[in-house]
Amino acid sequence: MNSIQDRRQEYRSLFKQNVAKRLLVDKAVRIIVFSCVIIAIIPLGSILIEVFKNGLTAISIEFLTETPGSVGSGEGGIGPAIQGTLIIVGLSSMIGVPIGVMSGIFLSEYGDNALARFVRFFNDVFMEFPSILLGIFAFLIIVLVLGHFSVWAGAFALSLIMFPIVARTTEESLKMVPMTYREAGTALGLKKWVITFRIVISAAKSGMVTGILLSVSRIGGETAPLIMTILGSSQFFSSMDTPMDALPLRIWRLSLLPYDSAQLQGWGAALVLIMIIIGINLGIKYHFMNKKNGFFGQLIKQRRNTTK
Amino acid sequence: MTAMTTKSTNMEAPPEFSSTIDTSKYKMIAENVTVSYGGIDAVKNVTMKFKEKSVTALIGPSGCGKTTFLRCLNRMHDMTKNAKVTGKVMIDDIDLYSKEIDPIYHRRKVGMVFQKPNPFPTMSVYDNVTAGLRLNGVRDKKILDEIVEDSLKMAYLWDEVKNDLKKSAIELSGGQQQRLCIARALAIQPEVLLMDEPASALDPIATQKIEETIIELKNDYTIIIVTHNMQQAIRVSDYTGFMYLGDLIEFRETKKLFTDPKDELTAKYVQGHFG
Amino acid sequence: MTRLIDPSLHKLSFIMSEMGDMVIESISLAIDSYLTGTNTKDKVLKLSDAIRAKYFEVEDLTFDMLLKYQPVADDFRLIRSSTEISYAFSRFGRYAYDITLVRDLFGDVSECTNASLVESTKKVKHMIKAAVLSFAELDIRKAVEIREDEKFIDRIYRERLPKLIESTNTRCALAETLLLRYLERIGDHAVFMSDAINYIVTGKHRPSEERIASHTKTEN
Repeated sequence: MNSIQDRRQEYRSLFKQNVAKRLLVDKAVRIIVFSCVIIAIIPLGSILIEVFKNGLTAISIEFLTETPGSVGSGEGGIGPAIQGTLIIVGLSSMIGVPIGVMSGIFLSEYGDNALARFVRFFNDVFMEFPSILLGIFAFLIIVLVLGHFSVWAGAFALSLIMFPIVARTTEESLKMVPMTYREAGTALGLKKWVITFRIVISAAKSGMVTGILLSVSRIGGETAPLIMTILGSSQFFSSMDTPMDALPLRIWRLSLLPYDSAQLQGWGAALVLIMIIIGINLGIKYHFMNKKNGFFGQLIKQRRNTTK
Repeated sequence: MTAMTTKSTNMEAPPEFSSTIDTSKYKMIAENVTVSYGGIDAVKNVTMKFKEKSVTALIGPSGCGKTTFLRCLNRMHDMTKNAKVTGKVMIDDIDLYSKEIDPIYHRRKVGMVFQKPNPFPTMSVYDNVTAGLRLNGVRDKKILDEIVEDSLKMAYLWDEVKNDLKKSAIELSGGQQQRLCIARALAIQPEVLLMDEPASALDPIATQKIEETIIELKNDYTIIIVTHNMQQAIRVSDYTGFMYLGDLIEFRETKKLFTDPKDELTAKYVQGHFG
Repeated sequence: MTRLIDPSLHKLSFIMSEMGDMVIESISLAIDSYLTGTNTKDKVLKLSDAIRAKYFEVEDLTFDMLLKYQPVADDFRLIRSSTEISYAFSRFGRYAYDITLVRDLFGDVSECTNASLVESTKKVKHMIKAAVLSFAELDIRKAVEIREDEKFIDRIYRERLPKLIESTNTRCALAETLLLRYLERIGDHAVFMSDAINYIVTGKHRPSEERIASHTKTEN
């Protein structure tokens, strides 16, 4: 009996010896991790600061609403580009989001078979596709066939980028909804599609919205596919079958010009683009966070209740 | 002391009664039910008969097949890939597994309450109770209101939520959520209620309330409850079935099974020699 | 696997076996005091008090086990019957003391002995031993013997009583009446005890209740 007690004492003293060292290691790791975060944020932060610094002075009502002036004059604005970006993002979303969501639902709820596995694999590969290749693809099958650059082609190209992202994030969000809610629905005698659309999706809403916003932010900044499809222009939107301007195109064009005024306008356009993307993100998040019926909003409310 | 007897003599079909003659009939009969997952039998040729307006408890160690069996009674295994179910489950002489009937329509005769309370998180209390009805096309607000009040009263939750039915379901406490799930199951007007360890995730006071609810519900419904708590089985049930490794070892009136079990395995299990 | 309830069950069986031994001793001493004339009142009183104390101990232990462990099946029946049996033991101790009091009050009554009395007392000793052993081994076959013995004692009681009323030797008659009465009561409790043991083993209740009720009916 005594030997057990003695051994225990021995083990205890070992523990005491190690503690000081372990605390030190703990501190060191904390510092390393923290600094890594800082290092990661610095470039991001500095980009934002640069853009703000350089672009703020270019912003004015004229800048935001007028068409570009003659090259190098420093007059005019990026009105058509802003309009074009909003149009192309909106149109692509209208095509890409529903297709992506439906694929995501298929993969999650009906996806325990070979077809689904193939689709999932294909989806993952597609997500990694270089966007310029997708642009060329759209160019080949729409622009060349129709004979002209058009908004259709641009929307098509961007939706190709969008839908794998939306499909993937939708699938993951739906999968995160615990099986028990589907079981409860089944036990109530509800049909599968009713359970999926009225119960599961409503619980997965927040994750799905995040995924959609991610894809919107992504396509908002895509340039290469737009070069091959909507080409760019100096006029406001006229019809779906003609070229159109967009912010990434305009930024690219402006940045290549040797004039300082053009450079300034380029910074301004970049700032506008960033503000639009951030605005869309924050707006939708805010809407969903506070909406009473959102799952996310409910979790926040629950946490507030339990900590009261 | 108690000799090992064969399984067939431990099943009284129909189960024994006390001195009064019992003329109530069987609400649900499960006959020769076998469930296999990928070649392994989780439930082996089990037959059980459930009397109308009674409570039957299913006990047994983990993995004995009691939950698997329970889920056969409302065809929950349709949702599970690789699950093969054979046998018959009859409610009022209609076999739930027959090819001629619509399983969804008949599944509504059997309500289910799960181990962990699972009210739909994005819906209010009112919407949760009416989920089985609204999502199946019932729209008449007056009827829905009546059913909500009726169901919540039966689940002993009405007084606690009647002033704020639009409150979100996940703001309720665990015990209240479980009673909400009971109300939700009752709202579809089932005749049989299946409960899978309904109180195991709850604190003792909430558990007590659930047990009281079950005893009240017995007057109108046939209830089958899986529980790992033997004292709970003794308190609330009229009949008890003991399962082990997929077989039904003994099925008798609760008091008899727990004071004088016929099978040695049952005696060992209920006295805590294993499990 | 040792369960939480096992130590308590062992303690229960230990106390009961102690009580059994004390019961056998006290009954023997009591009967001998009547038949041979030795005054064993004080010794038997001590035994009877000790048995009674153990009866309370068993009660406490029983309720403690019910509170803590909610026993079922065999455990439950054992515990339930133990209350009945330990009560029977306490009664045996008490009647044993009552018998020694007869010797004490009446003086030496050894000359009052007769053949049927000797037979009865032999049966009682046998019955008590059978009862204690039957409980220790949970052997219900001994129940038959116990019932046979009890029937005999009853019969003697019913036969002798009318004769004792006619007797001229008041002292002996009263002593014998009292003794027979106590023996009859011991017999009844022994049968209750065998029923309780039967319940432990078979789970069935009180086969003798009806029979006991029948012998208290007025004989026609």
